[in-house]
Amino acid sequence: MSNAPSLAARPAASLHRFANPGRFLRLSGRVLPWLAGAAVLVLAVGLPWALLFSPPDWQQGETVRIMYLHVPMAWLAMGGYAGLAVGSAMALVWRHPLADLAARELSPVGAAVTALCLATGSLWGKPMWGAWWVWDARLTSVLVLFFLWLGHAALVRAFDDPERGARMGAILALVGALNLPVVKFSVDWWNTLHQPASLTRVNAPALHVDILYPLLTCTLGLTLAFAAVVLLRVRAAVMERRIRALQMAAARRAEAPPMVGAES
Amino acid sequence: MTRKKKRLYLLLLCGLGLGSATALTLTAFQDNLVFFRSPSDIVREAPGPERAFRLGGLVETGSLSRSTEAGRPLARFVVTDGAAQVPVAFGGVLPDLFREGQGVVTLGKLGRDGVFMASEVLARHDETYMPPDVADALKRSGHWNPNQGAAPPASSWNTLQPGRGGG
Amino acid sequence: MSLHWWHVAISYALVLGGFAALTATAVLRHAQAKRVLARLETRKRPA
Repeated sequence: MSNAPSLAARPAASLHRFANPGRFLRLSGRVLPWLAGAAVLVLAVGLPWALLFSPPDWQQGETVRIMYLHVPMAWLAMGGYAGLAVGSAMALVWRHPLADLAARELSPVGAAVTALCLATGSLWGKPMWGAWWVWDARLTSVLVLFFLWLGHAALVRAFDDPERGARMGAILALVGALNLPVVKFSVDWWNTLHQPASLTRVNAPALHVDILYPLLTCTLGLTLAFAAVVLLRVRAAVMERRIRALQMAAARRAEAPPMVGAES
Repeated sequence: MTRKKKRLYLLLLCGLGLGSATALTLTAFQDNLVFFRSPSDIVREAPGPERAFRLGGLVETGSLSRSTEAGRPLARFVVTDGAAQVPVAFGGVLPDLFREGQGVVTLGKLGRDGVFMASEVLARHDETYMPPDVADALKRSGHWNPNQGAAPPASSWNTLQPGRGGG
Repeated sequence: MSLHWWHVAISYALVLGGFAALTATAVLRHAQAKRVLARLETRKRPA
């Protein structure tokens, strides 16, 4: 054996410390109240700010307030999927059992967030562009992202053997990650109805601070809420797995009473 | 080589293959992914009068005229991308954001007289967001005329507070 | 209320309602799992 520590072994060793379900439950149980409290606090500031106290836009008027929800939903849909892809790579390479569970619990929430992004975008597009929906590169690639989330959620639940389902889901998540740069750069690579208006100037996004700050606050609050919901679901899934293991052990004991002291 | 390392390299190899395949496909289908064509594209290669397509660009300043024909509102304007111009006629209600200097995407057919007969007009908006009083201050100071094009660089106005401090 | 405000109001209702539904189902599921697990583990210990 080489005396240099293996590239793969080092992160795996530190990761597997968190794979212990009891340890995960203790740790997440301590973090969760703070996470949820911070989400409620930040949203209690951000949402009234965005809905009532921020200025209207000079050309979009009050409709611009949809942006304070639409943009965070879009960022969460993409950021969450990037997280799913990273978790899936870790699950495939290091067979980390908690990564499988987290991916399984993440995808329904990600699908919901992407659906909200599409719905708010549609509600914004109708009064501003004059259309609920168009098949331009940005909108189409986000719709593909929504189907990838849904497909992952369905695929990991489609197999009798959960480990096999998790592996299939991880492969789908990694292949689907190719869509992320397409979503991100669609407005630069092709001309689209979605802004930025590449015909006038290709420049950094420009928001006035009175619009930027409530947007950042809402983004932080919704991200914290997203994280809290996913963490709560993963905790429930860890406990459910333990329940199944206990019930199976109990069933085995009931079938073969004399084998009590044997290997569990 | 450990099994974990082998899995890692296999994964990287698959990612590389899939990534380049996607990049090649997207490059090959570049033209089909375009949502609209610019006036320059139309001048270079005019589609036949039977083909419906989307024309996009900016509404040229001073080109908009509205009238009523047979009880329906009729708008005439010129779509430009700086290099070429295409005249457009549209019978219907224009979206709220429609104005001169603003981006539009129109769906229709190019007539034999060179006028694009639009059946649908969508307004584009750019990525700048600012409160009305900031926009007014920029217009008053002569830094920006929205009919002439996009807003000046964001760094010159995105912390401007005309409503406060007696500006 | 103008049409634009309707679109804004529906957007906020959708997002807040969506997150509330996600939170509620997660809280219920978590509480259920916790209850069952507590029952199973106390039953196991005296055995």
